[in-house]
Amino acid sequence: MSEKRTMQINDTLIDDTFAEAFPMKATRLVITAHTPVWANHAAQSLTGFATSVIGCGCEAGIERELGPHETPDGRPGVAVLLFAVSTKELAKQVERRVGQCVLTCPTTAVFSGIDPATSRAPLSDNAPLGSSLRFFGDGWQISKMLGETRYWRVPVMDGEFVAEESTVTVKAVGGGNLLLLATDTDAALRVAESAVHAMRRLPNVIMPFPGGVVRSGSKVGSKYAAAPASTNDAFCPTLIGLSPKSELDAEVGCVLEIVIDGLTDSDVGAAMTAGITAAAGLGRAGGVLRISAGNYGGKLGPYHFHLRELAAGLDGRRA
Amino acid sequence: MSTTTLRLRSAPGFRVDAAGLLPSALTALSPAEIGRIVLPAGNERCEAGELFDISRTEGDGTDRAALVIEGDVAWLDRLGAHLAEGRIDVHGSSGSHTGFRMAGGELRIDDDTGDFTGCQMSGGRLTVGGNSGDFTAGPLPGDMEGMTGGTLTIQGNTGTRLGDRMRRGVVLVCGDAGECAASRLVAGTIGIAGKLAPHFGYGMRRGTLLLVQAPASLPPTFTAGGKGFDVFWSLLVRSLAAEIAPFSTLKASSLPRRFTGDLAVDGRGELLLVG
Repeated sequence: MSEKRTMQINDTLIDDTFAEAFPMKATRLVITAHTPVWANHAAQSLTGFATSVIGCGCEAGIERELGPHETPDGRPGVAVLLFAVSTKELAKQVERRVGQCVLTCPTTAVFSGIDPATSRAPLSDNAPLGSSLRFFGDGWQISKMLGETRYWRVPVMDGEFVAEESTVTVKAVGGGNLLLLATDTDAALRVAESAVHAMRRLPNVIMPFPGGVVRSGSKVGSKYAAAPASTNDAFCPTLIGLSPKSELDAEVGCVLEIVIDGLTDSDVGAAMTAGITAAAGLGRAGGVLRISAGNYGGKLGPYHFHLRELAAGLDGRRA
Repeated sequence: MSTTTLRLRSAPGFRVDAAGLLPSALTALSPAEIGRIVLPAGNERCEAGELFDISRTEGDGTDRAALVIEGDVAWLDRLGAHLAEGRIDVHGSSGSHTGFRMAGGELRIDDDTGDFTGCQMSGGRLTVGGNSGDFTAGPLPGDMEGMTGGTLTIQGNTGTRLGDRMRRGVVLVCGDAGECAASRLVAGTIGIAGKLAPHFGYGMRRGTLLLVQAPASLPPTFTAGGKGFDVFWSLLVRSLAAEIAPFSTLKASSLPRRFTGDLAVDGRGELLLVG
């Protein structure tokens, strides 16, 4: 374990390890509404129960709030990002979630949020948006081409639900992560909140777990055949001295993880750097003992985010 | 890219078909070769060199071929027919079927155009500085679809049957429209800033007829279209912001009155009355 401790920032150890991430398909939806409150209601609902593709079908989160000057219809809005393992699954999740959470929400409209002309992420197939939701109109719906974009206008009880015909999807990156090892629960929550706050300032990324933080980090497989994943016993403080894989010492009282999905690997890397900066800024004096990351030996995911490379530009010193 | 200029030498006493004068095709030819292009003229034929003085300017700073016609060529029909790329500028009037089935590029007429302007056009931008004739943006007689894409703007007035059987695209008229404007409209957007002759929206199935001036009366087969279309109106206003006035000056905050029809057919068309 000690050979992994290669760097210190504010006496917080940066492990010589990497986060292993995977290709995903992603889209950005712009949800607008009469007021920011209702746009947020729809966005919160749409991104609910979307923490992990394992059990939720997709990973989704609010990217940021948008001002009226940033949206297609000049109303306040929210940008959300959705990630899934395939375009087919992404399309299914978009249809289901927009249909149940945006179509139903008063005054909302929904638009594709990725500009193919400027996207740095490689483009993938478009996913249906209004083209599938239009059938709710029961024949009263109207399509409208404005410029190169087709919209669907579906009559609803507050007027019309307007949805762009389809949403652009891209080849994205999911599963970037940081493990924050702290002295106790208070310190762990403080550093996790600080890191998530720093990451949320950046575009093109989401942290899909509650509050951006996950306490049930997992490993692949289980002693039980039916379980595809199980608890990451190497980082469970109650298993110090019990689990042969434990990577903790007695000083560690609490470990929290931040999972990052981004439209490109550089977006994920930038978010991880922001997280490391914020976490290490609290330092050992703030109860932050180590920063580590989860991987599968580098054999499963093509994207490897090495912590010491991400932290190389920070004010650190070798241990 | 090069600009080919055709300066009118003398008008023939008959109509001439200009469908063969497309800028991208002319770019590959020398002025002498262009002069030998044979243009159909009813039962007659004539060479382009008999009608125009032809010159060429290289390197206009753009990446698209251009054709400029200087002079009043109201006898020149089918100008810009099947235009897919490049630009045509006419410093004068042009004949009938201007922009017939054009699919892309830009066609600009400084003065008037004849009947069937923008007939069955599917893309690109056609700008008329003066008036256009009957059946603008419509179909050929007997065909099922008129204009299916692109943008057609007319600074002056139009004749009868504007946008007949139009299915997609945008037509904006600053002046008045003749009888049966937007008749049998399938979809698309037609904006008229001036006065309307009777029978507008006749047989209109879907689509949007945007009227800057309220007509004296509405067709009896239209009904009140309700409210709650703010989002669509905002999108429409924004899409027209770069177009000609008064359409470019519409405000998203000022919701028009809406009527739907023609109830004699599908009835999902809409009249938006701004005035």
